[in-house]
Amino acid sequence: MRSLRREPALLVGLLAVAGLVLAFIVYPQVQVVLTPGGGGYVDFFEHGNWQRPLQNSLILTALSTTTAVALGFVYAYAMVYSDMPWKPFFRLVGILPLLSPPFVVAAAYILLFGPRGIVTYGVFGQSPNILGLYGIWGVQTIAFFPFAYQLIADVLSRSDARMEQAARNLGAGAWDVFRSVTLPLTRPGLGAAILTTAIYVLEDFGNPALIGGVFTVLPTQAYGLISGFGDISGASAVSSILLALALGLYVAKIRLDGGRSYVTVSGRASSMPRPPVPRLVTIFSFVACLSLAGLIFLVYGTLIASAVTAHFPTNLTPTSEYFEYLGAHSLSLQNTLVYGLSAASVSALLAVFAGFLVQRGSWRGRRALDFLLIMPAAIPGLFFGLGYVVSFNKPWLDWLDRGVLIIIALTFWNIPVGYQATVAGLRQIDRSIDEAATSLGASSLRGFRDVIVPMLGGSLRVGFVTTFVRAVTTLSLLIFLFTPQTTVATITIFQLVNDFNWGGAAAFTVIDVTMAIIVLVTLAFIGGRRGLALGAARA
Amino acid sequence: MPDVAHLRLSHVIKRFGGVAAVDDVSFEVPKGSFATLLGPSGCGKTTTLRMIAGFYDPDEGDIIVSGRRINDLPAHRRGTAMVFQDYALFPHMSVRDNVGYGLGVQGIRGAERAKRVDETLVFVGLKGMGDRMPSQLSGGQQQRVAVARALIVRPEILLLDEPLSNLDAKLREQLRSEMRDLQRRLGMTFIYVTHDQVEALSLSDWIAVMNNGKVEQAGDPWQIYYRPRTTFIADFIGAVNLVPASVAEVRGETAVVSFGEHRLTVRTPEGIAVTSGASVHLCVRPEALGLLPPDAVAEGLVVKGTVARRAFLGDLMRYWVSVDGREWIVDQADPGAASPLEGTVGIAVRPERVHLIAEA
Repeated sequence: MRSLRREPALLVGLLAVAGLVLAFIVYPQVQVVLTPGGGGYVDFFEHGNWQRPLQNSLILTALSTTTAVALGFVYAYAMVYSDMPWKPFFRLVGILPLLSPPFVVAAAYILLFGPRGIVTYGVFGQSPNILGLYGIWGVQTIAFFPFAYQLIADVLSRSDARMEQAARNLGAGAWDVFRSVTLPLTRPGLGAAILTTAIYVLEDFGNPALIGGVFTVLPTQAYGLISGFGDISGASAVSSILLALALGLYVAKIRLDGGRSYVTVSGRASSMPRPPVPRLVTIFSFVACLSLAGLIFLVYGTLIASAVTAHFPTNLTPTSEYFEYLGAHSLSLQNTLVYGLSAASVSALLAVFAGFLVQRGSWRGRRALDFLLIMPAAIPGLFFGLGYVVSFNKPWLDWLDRGVLIIIALTFWNIPVGYQATVAGLRQIDRSIDEAATSLGASSLRGFRDVIVPMLGGSLRVGFVTTFVRAVTTLSLLIFLFTPQTTVATITIFQLVNDFNWGGAAAFTVIDVTMAIIVLVTLAFIGGRRGLALGAARA
Repeated sequence: MPDVAHLRLSHVIKRFGGVAAVDDVSFEVPKGSFATLLGPSGCGKTTTLRMIAGFYDPDEGDIIVSGRRINDLPAHRRGTAMVFQDYALFPHMSVRDNVGYGLGVQGIRGAERAKRVDETLVFVGLKGMGDRMPSQLSGGQQQRVAVARALIVRPEILLLDEPLSNLDAKLREQLRSEMRDLQRRLGMTFIYVTHDQVEALSLSDWIAVMNNGKVEQAGDPWQIYYRPRTTFIADFIGAVNLVPASVAEVRGETAVVSFGEHRLTVRTPEGIAVTSGASVHLCVRPEALGLLPPDAVAEGLVVKGTVARRAFLGDLMRYWVSVDGREWIVDQADPGAASPLEGTVGIAVRPERVHLIAEA
């Protein structure tokens, strides 16, 4: 393309981005898929234990997605359509689970219903075996319905209130309008929301790892093969099956919604009010949201109570003993913050630059780059992390600090949301803005810096916040990557839970979530009160 | 023109997906002139402007500024500042920062930049508005900021892409004369794109009328209006009567043409050969015709017709007069001076006001 030839700096920037994408997105994935080799795959499919985990993954994904979406839909409908009270409160409660690792639900579940659980042992004096399908199903339902709610609420709130008003004006009742206008119009978006939720569930590692027991799913199987047998080849094969499933869901999702992968949590102000729903629906909405909020409070309340008492509920003596673990594990908290902030900054900036190159460019190959930049959204964290182990855990890279590798992994795994927010943002900015800068003597890069970046503040924020939140909540991406020196909060929590150190795990979770909230609130203050733009964070 | 053309396009072609949006366009614009590319939407005028700016690359042909071929010069090195239709003001910058942007790029900062920004703001009538944000300005003020922002970099050539089309009629008229005044004071070469023929006529030293990617005719506004070379141009620029006729006889610079039962001696168009027996169009503007009561006599030709309808436009009365199954448009100035005519009328045609278009 001639414009690139005339601006060498732009060409260099493009080559740099393409090189990074190839090195840190494409190469590691190819490495994982290639690791078992032809013979390895044959051997694996003939003798390996993969049918059971695959079957379990499919069953669990179907069950948990259905229930999580059902609850999420009720919550979303109530938030968007009813005029129930306490909406700001419910909105806040809906965001909270996005800021913590999904597996804290499993931890709370054990605390409540486990062998020494508050309910089971404390109230009924029983020590039942709670591991297995039903436990995970229930836990994933609670863990992922807030994600489903965010996605569905975004779809519903984008449906045009004017059409609903028009339908009411023509004599349709509230239910008729929803059935005959809202649903048909939002069907692709709802379908995409369901598939996205299914990807989250499919990739979930923490919950099945904590309470799965012998009910092994693909992510826990891959982890077990490595941690138990050091079988990287087998783990790669299992991960590749996982990847294939996730990609399948993702492709279906893109077909439905054209690749939109972030939602805005700010709750946009609609220019037109939605038609009122019957009073009974409002009452039902309120009760339902209150119950669901109650579940979320139960999870976090249990955690907080466990963190600040000697042994909840049998010994309610207040104690700060568990927070003393923070001292012992201060490195992991510090790492979480450093990695999260670094990856979020780099990822957001890189995403905006890449989005600019792709959306504003006319060079050949930009569709390929576009595809590669979106792809990590479909890649299970476990697979992505494994890719980095397989590719970069090499003697010649010993000089590289492992923390840097973790930052790079977080950066590229999370680039899709910021990238797509940038592309969407750039579509809103007329090209004449770029051209105005150019015609006044600014090179493309200069115009990008002076004019485009300041106008893409929203996209930058989406990229930063999403990457940060996912960095402090992910377990699966880092489970293979961490070392004692580069451990992070989620890993520490996971280890504490596995050591049955409930108070410590709970205290750590509380601090981790609080840290995330402090960072986000600070950011919201710095960025002016334009609301929190959150990408769809996931495990 | 004595000196080299300031801007010269030579056989420029631009294709989009096999379709030539600009098809073999050549023209020259002298230094310091107000040149306009005029045409309907999709005629290629904006594409041509964007090629001059460097936003599109021509597929063929040369773009030459002051004798230097600029085809391969990147857009930001061409010194062709542009004023955009939607103004394209940087929404996150104040008026001062918008206007000073080009200076900043040139490395001019501090007091020098502030001084020039203030001067330019005064120049375009925006004194004291420097600290406002673009969203706080009216459409007309935004337009002035856009002009100021482009002027301040002292461009080689100023490009303007329909800069007045988003304004209401009254403001448009005011800014039109300001624009013309500005260009005269600066002596800068302006290339102006518009689809508004009144704008083009009132502003320009030179107009190129474009249609289907080609320049149909270029010349001064007078020529374009009174001596259109094609029926398209005659029709595009204002109201016109285009009467099919045939050439009976050619006598040097004049030709005898006949339409219906009438014969008329008119001048032949410059540079175009007219042969006897050819089908042509007579082009005559409604205001160049006179309307007479049926029994009145007048010099020249009088064509009889019947008033089909009329419209009172304030400054004039427009009549549609049916003549041999065709409608003629006749404008009568100062309609208050006489009572409206009805029924059979005579249309006074002065041969020297009739222009011949050698096109069937």
